[in-house]
Amino acid sequence: MKIDPEKCISCLECIDYCPMKCILEGEEATYMDQDECVECGVCLRAAVCPTEAIYMPEEAFQYPRSIRREFSDPAVQYPTLKQGGRGTEEMKTNDVTGRYRRGEYGMALEFGRPGTGTRISEIEKVLKVLLKMDVEVEKSNPVFLLLKDEATGEMKPEVLNEKVLSAILEFKITENQLEDAVNTLRPVLAEVDTVVSWGLATRFASDGTLPVRSRLAQIGLPARPNAKINMGMGRPIVEA
Amino acid sequence: MSHSLHRNGTEENLQNDYTFYARASRWVNREGCGPKLRKILEIILSEKPVNFGSSQAGKNAKAGLDPAEYAKTLDKAYGVACCFSDKKSIKSALVKLKEADTGISIVTGGLIDEIVAIAEEIGIKPHTAFLSLGIHGKKALLPEAQVLEMTTMCGHGLVSFKLSKAVIKKVQSGEMSPEEGATLLAQPCPCGIFNSDRCEALLQQCQKKE
Ligand code: SF4
Ligand code: SF4
Repeated sequence: MKIDPEKCISCLECIDYCPMKCILEGEEATYMDQDECVECGVCLRAAVCPTEAIYMPEEAFQYPRSIRREFSDPAVQYPTLKQGGRGTEEMKTNDVTGRYRRGEYGMALEFGRPGTGTRISEIEKVLKVLLKMDVEVEKSNPVFLLLKDEATGEMKPEVLNEKVLSAILEFKITENQLEDAVNTLRPVLAEVDTVVSWGLATRFASDGTLPVRSRLAQIGLPARPNAKINMGMGRPIVEA
Repeated sequence: MSHSLHRNGTEENLQNDYTFYARASRWVNREGCGPKLRKILEIILSEKPVNFGSSQAGKNAKAGLDPAEYAKTLDKAYGVACCFSDKKSIKSALVKLKEADTGISIVTGGLIDEIVAIAEEIGIKPHTAFLSLGIHGKKALLPEAQVLEMTTMCGHGLVSFKLSKAVIKKVQSGEMSPEEGATLLAQPCPCGIFNSDRCEALLQQCQKKE
């Protein structure tokens, strides 16, 4: 995003809206640090600028910068996947897709959430480790459009320094792999230069309980008390 | 929308915070789902959600999204999102949805034990849970808990830490009421899952702390 210095009257109304803190006060006019801006569109949609000085420049649509907007602005549909969202349908539709069955856990690592944003290079660090683990990495996730080498997790060099508001790595493990996966990933996540919100998708057991909660507590990674729950109202339902 | 998954807060202040998402699957039932989504919208509106919206519509109810305008977007959309701030409403919406039997997947966010109890009371069997295992990585980048509790109500991260801090300050100085602050903070979240009732309560707490 950019600010037209001819129009800006330095009222500073837009500054607080930016999740990346990249709208800065300049001598003549307010401006955006282009390296930090993720093209999320919040400043423009806030419609607080009295002079309509904020605009989306042509560069925002040019690759590789274009990926910023695609990963950061929820209103943008992915040109390739046409599904919107930073990830996939994951467990939202699991009652009809059966993507995660009993005996399996889905995992999602959300880079840059909450509210910090991430460089693609941080995702690459973890993806390289994930691909060496014996887990099923979700390849329909938009992050995979950025890969140079699907076997190693090496990203295309031109996207590494691009910054996005968030991006998600998704993968599936078997129940037996829980402890190993957690122990392998924890130290890797501790080293990334951003924050990562970690989620785990699990089927309810046939008695309506979630046995994984006590396992997670035992390995020192307790689940938070709140979650999102697929209520099983989709049809036709996948019971397994 | 793993975006309703990582709402920060205490067990106490996460009570009465329920997110709702109806989602058609690209692989199973998205084709021609518009009328079903409109039916779902009609049901949730009858239970007075705190907020609703969609990224397709580009804004939420607190930012002026008109329900009729929202309904029109549903032929090209694949979901309906909203939030509730009382158990009675979400429960009643789920009962009506059970009767309507649209076959569209319904995802509810909130305290796990409460949601499971509601499901049991109304005779539905929860299928899958998405649990939050917390925040990892460089946590030094994060602001204080009271800011996160507000900003994580927009799971896409569109409500900035800075805006939340500015609103807290204005509420504490009396320049803004908690209600005004909550309405302002709800604006950037197009999906409408930013619960302005909960935000107002959190801002009232900040007032007391001052
Ligand atoms: S587009 Fe987003 S990141 Fe860029 S200046 Fe505007 S609010 Fe900030
Ligand atoms: S709101 Fe508009 S006029 Fe005011 S500082 Fe921002 S760009 Fe400049």
